[in-house]
Amino acid sequence: MNITNRVFTTSWRKGNSFIRIVTFSTKPQANELPPFIQKQSQPNSTGSIEGRKSVIPQNYRFIYPEFLPDPKVEWRNPVREKLERMDMLDRRTKIDIPEFYVGSILAVTSSDPHAAGKISRFVGICIHRDRCGLRARFILRNVIDHQGIEVRYELYDPTIHKIEVLRLEKRLDDHLLYLRDALPEYSTVDINMEPENLDDSAEVPINDIKVVLRPRPWLERWERQNLQGVANVDQYITDKQRRQALAHEKPWEKYDMMKQYRSSIPEEEQKEIFAEVHSQLHSLELQRKRNKRKRSFVKPTKLA
Amino acid sequence: MLRTLIIDLNKLRLNPVVVTQVREKGHLTRPRLRNPYWFVRKERLARDTTVTTENKAFVKEIIKDKYGPPAIIKGIPSYDQSALIKTEQYERQPWHEKARRCGLIARKIGQYPLWLKNGERIRTTLLQVVDNHVIRYIPPHEYKPAQKPNVANLNKYGCLLVGAESVDPSTLTKEYCGLFRDSGVMPKRNLARFIISPEAAIPAGTPLNVAHFRAGDFVDVRGKTVDHGFQGVVKRHGFKGMPASHGVTKTHRRPGNIGGGGEKGRVWPGTKMPGHMGNRWRIAKGLRIWRINTKYNVMWVQGSAIPGSTNGLVYIYDTILPLRKHKTAPPFPTTFEEELEALTGPSDDIWYEDVHSFKDDTITFQPETN
Repeated sequence: MNITNRVFTTSWRKGNSFIRIVTFSTKPQANELPPFIQKQSQPNSTGSIEGRKSVIPQNYRFIYPEFLPDPKVEWRNPVREKLERMDMLDRRTKIDIPEFYVGSILAVTSSDPHAAGKISRFVGICIHRDRCGLRARFILRNVIDHQGIEVRYELYDPTIHKIEVLRLEKRLDDHLLYLRDALPEYSTVDINMEPENLDDSAEVPINDIKVVLRPRPWLERWERQNLQGVANVDQYITDKQRRQALAHEKPWEKYDMMKQYRSSIPEEEQKEIFAEVHSQLHSLELQRKRNKRKRSFVKPTKLA
Repeated sequence: MLRTLIIDLNKLRLNPVVVTQVREKGHLTRPRLRNPYWFVRKERLARDTTVTTENKAFVKEIIKDKYGPPAIIKGIPSYDQSALIKTEQYERQPWHEKARRCGLIARKIGQYPLWLKNGERIRTTLLQVVDNHVIRYIPPHEYKPAQKPNVANLNKYGCLLVGAESVDPSTLTKEYCGLFRDSGVMPKRNLARFIISPEAAIPAGTPLNVAHFRAGDFVDVRGKTVDHGFQGVVKRHGFKGMPASHGVTKTHRRPGNIGGGGEKGRVWPGTKMPGHMGNRWRIAKGLRIWRINTKYNVMWVQGSAIPGSTNGLVYIYDTILPLRKHKTAPPFPTTFEEELEALTGPSDDIWYEDVHSFKDDTITFQPETN
């Protein structure tokens, strides 16, 4: 059992070598794995459990995190969750909701009764992604005319026409809310940006850029959040704040298995959930790939 | 009786010297508040020490023979009784505006948003009708409750006993199981009585489903609110409390002054104070049904403030709000299982006309034409 588990975790790691996405899982994170296991890892993208090959890709919980329900036990109900998933799939047949992460650059086109032409398009960097089910939502941020603009979209809102991923990448943190306190160039995106083509088989790149913050006052105590993507937190805080940040650290929480268990959906249940929706999601993915191929071929035009 | 006799004897004045004392409570006598007959002890004291596995298998077999095989019916683990229950022939009567229909027993299973066709997002709560069966109808001349419900002209209304959620009868007392004997229905975990007009009576043994209501109807949902226990004034009544610092000591979450002086030098009745919060029966009235799913017996009801916790029991009634009552005839007395297919078609879902179905195309707004 132990061995199969190890093979499983390593193969999972191979497929998804990023770590700071909100995972909703009890699995140990990749950097906690002892080195000797990493050596035996084999490039097996599907993963084998108990000798049988699972068809469901292991990275579905990162690509479709909103399909996993809220882990709070008091709020769970199998029938509700099932109905919710069915509605989500119904919506996904009408609109292509692509894979994206915090840090990716998106363009969202949506119906807006107040916009000229009744349609609006907003380009920005995804700084936050939360909630599950039909409530799933994300925040896009951009700086337009020296003014920071954020728009919060709901993933399954039927007024959204199109969600395009202009640049698919990840960052070092779960959220990029600190961009609000950073220099504006870090959240400025060209609104006429063209989508960058990324090979389908390639791993999603991690952008390890370090953001430079403006001097205090800040919206939050960033120094207490152990942020990886910030360059100069130390520059602006006082000794007292440094001491307090140290006092508020909770280094034992990573060993709190009960806490992890309560805040995540167990692996077995994840498998059940994704087994239910896998066939439809997979066919939607194939369709998306076909469309993408069509789009990437541009017929040369005659000049003059 | 005794008293009148004594008074009569006194009137005769046979022996005027004798003074008989009559000691009784007099004004304190009031009718005994008897509970309805279905208020009997439900759970049996389990003594499983002497029960062998063969015994258990035998009990299961008996239950299967008597009530049907276990089955999952509309997403609820239950027993398949359709072959065993035969309801009597029933003649429908026309609906009229004063008629009171039966209600349903449901569980609150969660909440999620729906969108209207104009792009507006609404919050809805999902209520699942859990395996409801009619247990008994008590006609008006027999229904004489000791504790009178607050219904005008009660003598004109009968009472319909409805049960929800089948349970293994070997876990229940004999008396409780006896309540279900005449209907032939599996003993139910939950019982509720609905006060109905005699025209709306439904024969015992009939399963009730969510199509008892239509999408677009308004309902009242009654439930017991979440129990918060004894709470202070900040949580219970939303008082502001007092500052955390600036010299404030020991009064951060206290109510402060609770009454004036002089003429009104007392605490007035109804003053908001700390006390027990929640665990009360509350009715959320006039909620619209946005959507109905007949496969899982689920209805999507307006709002996220339905009393009770998720997976808690609620009771659904036709609304009593005068402007939201039925204008046209609802399914009367109810929608029977045979009529379900004609109602829904292939998709199980019935949407209210204003609601955007997730299978529909993306919402677009038409530009104004000047």
